[in-house]
Amino acid sequence: MMPLRRFRIHQAREIKEAAEMLAQFGDKGRLYAGGTELLLAMKHDLLRYEHLVDVKTIPGLDKIELKNSTLHIGSTATHRSIENSPLIREHFPVIAEMERHVANVRVRATGTLGGNLCFAEPHSDPATLLLALRAKARVQGSKGERTLEMDELVAGAYETSLAADEILTAVAIPLSAKPRRAAYLKFQIHERPTLGLALVLELDDGQNIKAARAVVGSVSPKPCRSDKAEALLAGPRDKVEKQLPHAAKALAEAADPVDDLEGSAEYKRHLIGVFLRRAFDRALQRPTAHG
Amino acid sequence: MSAEKKRDFQIVNHSVPRRDGPAKVTGKAVYVSDVKLPAMAYAKVLRSPYAHAKIVSIDSAKAAARPGVYAVLTSNDLTGLNLYYGHAVKDHPLIAVDKVRYAGEPVAAVVAQDERTAFEALEFIDVKYDELKAVLTPKEALDKGAALLHERTFEAGALRGFEGEVAAGRGSNICQESHLKWGDVEAAFARAAAVVEGEYYFPMAYAYAMEPYVAIAEVSDNGVTIYSSAQHPFMVRHDLTTVFKLPVSQIRLIVPFVGGGYGSKSYTKIEPLVAACAWKAQRPVKLQLSVEEAMLTTRSDDALTWMRTAVDAHGKIIARQARIYMNTGAYAENSPLVCEKATNRTVGPYSIPNVQIDTYSVYTNTVPASSYRGFGCAQVTMAGESQIDELATKIGKDPYEFRLANVAKPGEEFFPKMRPFDGTLKQDLEIAAKALDWQQTPPKGHGKSIGCSTSDAGAYPLTSTVIRVHADSSVSILTGSTELGQGSHTVIPQIVAEELGVPFEKVRVVASDTAITPYDRSTGASRTTTLMGRAVLEASREAIEQMVRMAAELLKIKTDAIEVVRGGVRCGEARLTWSEIISRYYGLPDGEVIGRAYIRKAGDFSKPPVFWETACTGVEISVDEETGLIRVEKLATVGDVGLAINPALAEGQDIGAATMGMGVGLFEELVYEGPQLVNGSILDYRVPRFSDMPRQVEMHLVENQDGVGPYGAKGGGEASLNSMPSNIANALYNATGVRIRRVPLTPEKVWRALKERQ
Ligand SMILES: Cc1cc2nc3c(=O)[nH]c(=O)nc-3n(C[C@H](O)[C@H](O)[C@H](O)COP(=O)(O)OP(=O)(O)OC[C@H]3O[C@@H](n4cnc5c(N)ncnc54)[C@H](O)[C@@H]3O)c2cc1C
Repeated sequence: MMPLRRFRIHQAREIKEAAEMLAQFGDKGRLYAGGTELLLAMKHDLLRYEHLVDVKTIPGLDKIELKNSTLHIGSTATHRSIENSPLIREHFPVIAEMERHVANVRVRATGTLGGNLCFAEPHSDPATLLLALRAKARVQGSKGERTLEMDELVAGAYETSLAADEILTAVAIPLSAKPRRAAYLKFQIHERPTLGLALVLELDDGQNIKAARAVVGSVSPKPCRSDKAEALLAGPRDKVEKQLPHAAKALAEAADPVDDLEGSAEYKRHLIGVFLRRAFDRALQRPTAHG
Repeated sequence: MSAEKKRDFQIVNHSVPRRDGPAKVTGKAVYVSDVKLPAMAYAKVLRSPYAHAKIVSIDSAKAAARPGVYAVLTSNDLTGLNLYYGHAVKDHPLIAVDKVRYAGEPVAAVVAQDERTAFEALEFIDVKYDELKAVLTPKEALDKGAALLHERTFEAGALRGFEGEVAAGRGSNICQESHLKWGDVEAAFARAAAVVEGEYYFPMAYAYAMEPYVAIAEVSDNGVTIYSSAQHPFMVRHDLTTVFKLPVSQIRLIVPFVGGGYGSKSYTKIEPLVAACAWKAQRPVKLQLSVEEAMLTTRSDDALTWMRTAVDAHGKIIARQARIYMNTGAYAENSPLVCEKATNRTVGPYSIPNVQIDTYSVYTNTVPASSYRGFGCAQVTMAGESQIDELATKIGKDPYEFRLANVAKPGEEFFPKMRPFDGTLKQDLEIAAKALDWQQTPPKGHGKSIGCSTSDAGAYPLTSTVIRVHADSSVSILTGSTELGQGSHTVIPQIVAEELGVPFEKVRVVASDTAITPYDRSTGASRTTTLMGRAVLEASREAIEQMVRMAAELLKIKTDAIEVVRGGVRCGEARLTWSEIISRYYGLPDGEVIGRAYIRKAGDFSKPPVFWETACTGVEISVDEETGLIRVEKLATVGDVGLAINPALAEGQDIGAATMGMGVGLFEELVYEGPQLVNGSILDYRVPRFSDMPRQVEMHLVENQDGVGPYGAKGGGEASLNSMPSNIANALYNATGVRIRRVPLTPEKVWRALKERQ
């Protein structure tokens, strides 16, 4: 860690203004939220910018609200505010619980959801769970607004599909009409997770799983799901239980884990099986909610 | 030391609160990073990207011309200084000369008006390198035809602290070797009833003091003054006298609070470099390293140990043999001494009639290794204590009972020519076993282990001190011992307050300024309570003797008619406090009496070691067999400390050291990919967290007053680290039947071993 090089901070008052600033600065500028990733990378001299456009000063960008059966989380909402939001605790306890285990309390108090997703660090807990919950990303640039699926937003390791002047404004998560069970589990030794696994099950009244969504994150450059795995995770509970190892294998194939300091690809493939089963048990233990 | 009975103590043997506590938790404590001198400039260092390369040229003109830059330092322009230093081997240039020997080695430094300006100028220095082949492991380094790190021989450092030659620079990459032999090992193995043999590995670790290295230097006509985070200011002073070719009196080291050391702040680090910067820039200069830079400055020696141990038919250990390769990195630093200590400590706390240990400390193109808490003992105890369990299992004995039957006994000369054993290991082990409910079978997936170690501790006994008794009976102690968070500045005044019978609050510590405080060789090797403690005790008694003579003169009686009581003297009805004696003696309510003490390798301290630092630790772990994740559920520590001057502080050392050992046992390791350190940052290097702490902890102190320190005290502080890594490996074996001989026991490593078992 080194002293920060000189740069200028510009505090935007509205999204449009921030987008214009970004367009103006081009390569020399970058959007700045909590700074927990950005400033750290700058202190390690991995990134250099002359201008930082602060979006924390934009009123209302951190709002958390329920509108039209959809939960909206503003991009500058901090991990801590999401973790403690009564609305989220009631409707999406799985999100609150996931957030409670992101980083440490200092990072959670400063770091934002938008910063987490837009840095696209491969070991993101929120990116993994939000993909499983079919969240959508609302994006605004100087040319207007658009909506992206989560796996469109995150393009790869440290890579998003946002244009240089585009800002993630909110994440929208639909409430489900049907009873739903969800679990997010992670395995973590170092500062970032080795593996994150999110499982969302839609249930018929009885013992039948109507549809499933399983996402594995941290093991490869971006969170990953698999149609084949999800097909194996639907059906009568007993049957699905027997198919768990096959589903895990399909998910591991799709994720194609990499060797790194967190562990070998082989170990991560194995962990996918362990945590898919644990997530399955956990999801079915929990009371019904949206997730 | 004649042992006073424990119950008579008023101040020692009580857990008085730490003196430095309130200042530290309120942020008021002054560390070097808080110190600012008038007109002070700031330095930043350019480091080598290559592990081994010739420096073809350095062009620093562009950097030097930048606004706010005062000077750029390279080896090109240091004529007049002696660039090589080292208390063991003078192999370490203060900045790279002609070639670099590890990735991260300082190549140039910029001095500027502020840190940012200095940092921003670094990239304008143009260095051309000619890359050489790098050797990264002892095996590679000892291969025939391996590239040599050091092509020439070196002067041996005058303060190396052991007898015998250094091997460095004699045409191979061997930095030092150490050999220990008694009995007839071959014959013993030939007649053994059972033998175990294996290869064990202890990783490179970073000692992780919260405060990275920091120093400020000022060079003037009066000489060189340095504020530093150094643990051993007097040793650093010695190195600087050679760099600047100045008399001892003209080098002054001042050490305020040090933010943790754990071995890493021992000996000279950045002080020669920052002093050279100040000399070149002609103004005071501060150099503050980041954690990442500190990780490129020192680490522990990793050790690959081949070992075999034998028992006879009665379950008595009859022989141990080991060959150890320690990776000392690019420069010797303190590794020659670590090499020798590791050799001695491989014997373990056992009485073994046939021993042969051969240790090699080898240069490689990696970060220089040096002292690390435990000083070689942690490295070799991993092998030794694993093997004790393996051997017990092989002959069908309970490992705890097996230890009880083989540990050195009090007073036993278990190590030829050394001080007889001054601890009570049998008692210590029994306490640990009780704390762990040893006879109780643990739940499924759990395993227990008890281990122990003893170290020839205390380093070289050379310590002096002055205590000044003032006319109001308050006292100032001048001590060269550094407060690193271990509590020495609480323990030392406790001893003086006890001796002089004055309130603890009235005793002040003036510390670690080589221009003021008398010589103390080091604050390391767990020696301060024993050696500085003994020195302040003797100095207090010397002051008392003087005051008794003064009182006799005042009362016009013979000294032997005077009885020393708490806080003063008595003769019949007449009572005089120290204050009254001093005031009446000088005829003014002012003035002072100065007590002195010199400790040297003589008398109680003539036989090494100063004491055997002895401890037991015990753990119960749980293993998640699906992921390989180990949790330490229960921890017991037993510190064999003779007498705890401050029991809470002694326990603090034990739990701290055990936690550090747990870290290496479970996850701590510096990882190299090729010549680059790849986890050298606070984000990537995993140290224990509060969430890793065992839910149950029991700490015990054994106080038999059997040490040479004050009131029979002996040092602690390192010992509880040593047996923790092997404990975790042994407990894993007891839980799962799987034996791993390389720490750390990361989840993946455990998972793989479990998979192979099936
Ligand atoms: C020690 C540590 C541990 C961590 N552990 C975990 C963990 O266990 N799990 C986990 O998931 N994460 C973890 N993180 C990551 C953490 O969640 C992020 O650091 C944080 O959420 C980033 O938010 P920020 O507001 O600080 O982003 P910033 O640092 O301000 O920005 C990060 C990047 O996102 C861009 N950006 C920010 N906001 C927007 C926006 N609205 N639109 C477009 N681009 C934007 C910035 O330009 C920048 O490139 C950890 C981080 C640290 C430092």
